[in-house]
Amino acid sequence: MCRIGAIKSKKYLHPSIALKLMRSQQKGHDNSGFAFVMQDLGGIWSAYKDLPILSMAATVEGTRKAEDILHDLGFTRVLQWAPDINNQKGLKIEPMPNYIFETFQYPKSHKYATKEEKEELLVDTALLLRKELEKNNLGYMYSFWPDVLTLKEIGSPKDIGTYFGLWEENEDLCAKIITAQCRQNTNYDIVRYAAHPFFLDGYTVLANGENTFFEKNRDYQQSLYKGYIGFESDSQCFLYTLHYINKILKWPLKYYKHTITPLSYEEIEKRPDKEILLRIKASLSHLEINGPNTILSVLPSGELMCVCDAKKLRPVVIGRTEDTVIMTSEVTGINDVLGNRDVSLDIYPNEHETVIVGNDLTVERWKQ
Amino acid sequence: METVKINQLHMDDLPWIIEYDESKCIQCGKCSAVCSFGAIKPEIEKRKNPSSNLAKPSYSKVLVIKQQISFQHHCRGCGMCSRVCPNGAIKAVRNINDRYSVRYRAAKADSLKKGGRSNLNTEGRTLDKIKIGRISQMTDPSLDAARHEFELRTPFGRILSADKLGFQLNNDNIELSKQLPPNRWIYPIIMGDMSIGAISWRMWEAMAIATAYLNEVMGLPVRMCTGEGGIPVRLLKSRYLKYMILQIASGHFGWNRIIQSMPEMTEDPAGILIKIGQGAKPGDGGLLMASKVARYVQEIRGVPRADLLSPPTHQGLYSIEESVQKMFLSMNAAFNFRAPVAIKVAASVTSVSVYNNLLRDPYNIVGGFFLDGLAGGTGAAHEISLDHTGHPITSKLRDCYLAAVHQGRQGEIPLFAGGGLGQTGSFAADAFKLICLGANGVFTGRLLLEIAGCVGNDVGKCNACNTGLCPAGIASQDLCLTKRLDIDVAAQNIVNYFIATHMELKKLMGPIGNSTLPVGRSDALITVDKNISERLGIQYAC
Amino acid sequence: MKKDKVIIKTLVDNNRMSTQELLQLITSKIDDGYTDFEIDACGQHNIGGSSWAKNRNEILSFKIKNPGQRVGAMALSGTKIIVEGSAPADVGWLNSGAEIIVKGDCGDTAAHCAAGGKIYVDGRVGTRSGALMKHDPKFENPEFWVLKNTGSFAFEFMGGGIAVVCGYDCGDLNSVLGSRSCVGMVGGTIYVRGPIDNISDCVQVINLDDSDIKFLKEGLNIFLSKIDKIDLFEELAEFTDWKKIIPLPSEIKEKKISVAEFRKNNWVEDGIFGDFVHDDFIVYPMPATSDGRVHIPKWNNENCIDCKLCLNNCPQNAIFQKDKNYISDDNKCIGCGICEAVCPKSCWIMYSNRRELT
Repeated sequence: MCRIGAIKSKKYLHPSIALKLMRSQQKGHDNSGFAFVMQDLGGIWSAYKDLPILSMAATVEGTRKAEDILHDLGFTRVLQWAPDINNQKGLKIEPMPNYIFETFQYPKSHKYATKEEKEELLVDTALLLRKELEKNNLGYMYSFWPDVLTLKEIGSPKDIGTYFGLWEENEDLCAKIITAQCRQNTNYDIVRYAAHPFFLDGYTVLANGENTFFEKNRDYQQSLYKGYIGFESDSQCFLYTLHYINKILKWPLKYYKHTITPLSYEEIEKRPDKEILLRIKASLSHLEINGPNTILSVLPSGELMCVCDAKKLRPVVIGRTEDTVIMTSEVTGINDVLGNRDVSLDIYPNEHETVIVGNDLTVERWKQ
Repeated sequence: METVKINQLHMDDLPWIIEYDESKCIQCGKCSAVCSFGAIKPEIEKRKNPSSNLAKPSYSKVLVIKQQISFQHHCRGCGMCSRVCPNGAIKAVRNINDRYSVRYRAAKADSLKKGGRSNLNTEGRTLDKIKIGRISQMTDPSLDAARHEFELRTPFGRILSADKLGFQLNNDNIELSKQLPPNRWIYPIIMGDMSIGAISWRMWEAMAIATAYLNEVMGLPVRMCTGEGGIPVRLLKSRYLKYMILQIASGHFGWNRIIQSMPEMTEDPAGILIKIGQGAKPGDGGLLMASKVARYVQEIRGVPRADLLSPPTHQGLYSIEESVQKMFLSMNAAFNFRAPVAIKVAASVTSVSVYNNLLRDPYNIVGGFFLDGLAGGTGAAHEISLDHTGHPITSKLRDCYLAAVHQGRQGEIPLFAGGGLGQTGSFAADAFKLICLGANGVFTGRLLLEIAGCVGNDVGKCNACNTGLCPAGIASQDLCLTKRLDIDVAAQNIVNYFIATHMELKKLMGPIGNSTLPVGRSDALITVDKNISERLGIQYAC
Repeated sequence: MKKDKVIIKTLVDNNRMSTQELLQLITSKIDDGYTDFEIDACGQHNIGGSSWAKNRNEILSFKIKNPGQRVGAMALSGTKIIVEGSAPADVGWLNSGAEIIVKGDCGDTAAHCAAGGKIYVDGRVGTRSGALMKHDPKFENPEFWVLKNTGSFAFEFMGGGIAVVCGYDCGDLNSVLGSRSCVGMVGGTIYVRGPIDNISDCVQVINLDDSDIKFLKEGLNIFLSKIDKIDLFEELAEFTDWKKIIPLPSEIKEKKISVAEFRKNNWVEDGIFGDFVHDDFIVYPMPATSDGRVHIPKWNNENCIDCKLCLNNCPQNAIFQKDKNYISDDNKCIGCGICEAVCPKSCWIMYSNRRELT
């Protein structure tokens, strides 16, 4: 069972907190990888919050290819950062030749573009980069978005931390939102793209459990939007559905839960909004999930969201202090990093709720 | 001297031979009394006494049961004689030398008719070669069929894609901004689709009672399709109309009464089914032999006693555009766009084109696509149609579903599949597999008759539904036969079968870890046949 | 026997002791005669489970901080476990006799399959807690005490034992047992204080009797002192707030009317075909007499030679003679046709009895 975590804080946090959060939650398979997405960045990134950061792992040729593409599109690099690699002997990691974290200025053509136009450009560019890198197995494009930084690697989380120097506090690399998972998808081939968190168009999602309606979800999503690609992990479907509901259809977030785990007909019949809920249940029946899942997400607004499957077959707990909220699979992780919190404020989300952590860290629980 | 001629019909030509053991017979007469076909009769047999010599023979007369040799009164193998015989002295035995179909055509210059299902079975059953092979175990817990909650409901009606629902935002809520096509949430098994006339009033009413009972006592939202033979006004005016899907076919039988009842209806019907074709005899209209056109059937249908043939096509429909306009629009309008209107066609090579056209209908008024495969049953058909026309259901259902997937429109017109389901005793499995292949639900007719007491099968037993002499009182309008059917037992048996099927569907949903219908979850299926694997796009296993 | 306490820290620098390393270390210490453990854990599993003091009469005690899943799983009598704080899933899974005190919340499936011992939780327990608890009559009834509430689907398939959910500090919760709890429960007892919603229909919720109150009074005293909250006794011991949940006996589980009753009582009066056919709904047996016959005999006296073959061969004794006429009694005749067959003069002819109901 994957262990996942999402941290949101008023302070800038270093990725070591994610390593510590996940450490006590290790299970048999949880040494197969480590991946995290940092958002609302501090350190050297804080000066460029509006400019897209390319997060990528590639061969030398892939790096050149990506830079050529961005150059051709008119993007200009304004910041380049690389982790200090500690390549000591005996680390369990399968590194890529290059890790690219670069901030770009938008092309001149987009100087006066609207937010929507810029987002469209970034999505298109990210898809193009991914496609070109995939062609000759040149590398992996994880995210290309303002204020978002992604790293995914295969190996022992502890050793990945050591390799990238993540255990040490580093003022260059810190963020107010960090989402992480310490495991690769071990059901099928180990593929970097299959590692959570997944990112698309401002939305970050990580989940655990198997999506038993994967085929139904995928069959339907494939034709809904250009960015619904890959499907290396059945959990990507959760991201695409969230994106579809909230960004494409522009429906309020509470309808996400109504889409993925619709209430039964009998329950809906008793509600004043039954007309709407039955239509959603019918029209988006192929986006329903029916497996055991906890889904954590970071929304474009920077808020966190947590929903569970309707049978509540995966654990999740939310712990909080004045300045930090953590959603994660098991309480042990929170005990390690927020040891002094008031545990009576811990939240164990149930099968019928959506939990939202606002930007001021207030926690809302919406009953489905 | 008594002689025979070679062209005279002989016992050896018939499909069934009566095996009679005189030594066990007590001459009670029960066998001949119950034979509705008049295929056996008591007769006096003349026998030579062994003690007399041939020069001056003496004879004795012996009372025996004799098989009748005639086109009209031949044995159909229904087996009622052996059921009533106290000593097991008589039974019908399949004649392997049967030449009946040749002799009938040669003698009558007429095509052979029968009821039931195709007896050829040359294509085998695809569904039996498919298994539910993806069982959740470690990664995704299975569910307990008996105790977990499952939802077995499927939408019926035109489903619009989410971006076409016209939702409006009002603060944090979505609101409707326009009238949307009617949707109903029904049980994924629709029963019936068998006409008044084709089956006895008791059988028809038993199905209707079972439907009402399943809804109101068992809480299973099962719907029944009426068939094309009209509907009793008492039902139209009752609250049970809401469980009935009214059928209209090319004969339009009974619709004048439906129209006249409209002002007095207290409920909308569950839907309307426009029958274009039938799997058992695609391209052929309904057929009700005169022998079954009882007076009440004449009245409900508005016709005299005669062989009633529905035209093979709806008169005045020459294109899909026209049918959408005339039939769908009119039927929608009839109930003020409150009842879903669906279409039933025989599975055919062309089904996908029809489905695509309906998916693209700009009025969004087609609320279901019923696809009927060649193994479907019928009350009466020409044998040539029954045995040699049609298309198996499984691949065509799959084709339609995948055509919708290709356009990103799966689910917009719910698919219902039927035709020979439960033929090998595994109705829930058949239904489940078709749902995994993309059906929203299934429909069944013939199986209900078997549940109620039909003794026929798919290898030539009985299949005399067309004669009106149904020994079980199911496909007959005769008082003496129909009253053999216990309406309460028939209805109870149907109810029981649905309850069992409901449990069995859950027994299949549980292991794949799903509490709602796995529509289109073909990844749950495997097949032991490579061709099926390739054709349906499901995993091959061996 | 060694009286000094074994203190184990499982995280040194960034190196975390694995579950296997920790459990083997504990076992080796027990083998050395130690019985008292204080463990600063980092999510390691199964701590305190399936072990016993070298001297079986001694108590094996564990004080644990931040354990992982299944703390006290498969624990035996003689084991005492105190968890300082919350614990994740499967606390006391298959507990077979230990006393487990959790001074915080428990994750999902706490007390799952517990068949012995006592579990005391100073907080909430998660989804499916108490599922499949059992009682082996050769051992003490297992007890599972929860100060606050449970998650949904609690006590599924419960077969025995006693669970107590005190509903303390549950604010505006509409159910202290979550939703759909007690599904498939066939045995055991649950005492609950506070609102219950959407509970399985295979159980009944009833009021307490005197013996229940006696049990709760004694038990609450022990429970509250174990979790150092004896001051809550007054508030919780208001027994009118409590209910008791037990399985519904199978014989009174839903009895539905038959379809025949449904037709008579609920269905359209006289049937939906009542306009056309007056059906008495009588069912004809096979063979039948009277109207139920497929064929009926008719007698023609012209050729009769009074041979009485028909009368003597009729298997139903339906034929009798009146004056010079032979008559078949419709109420006896089944229409077999033997009279027709045996008559040398063809006086009996069988006709079809096919007709419609009107």
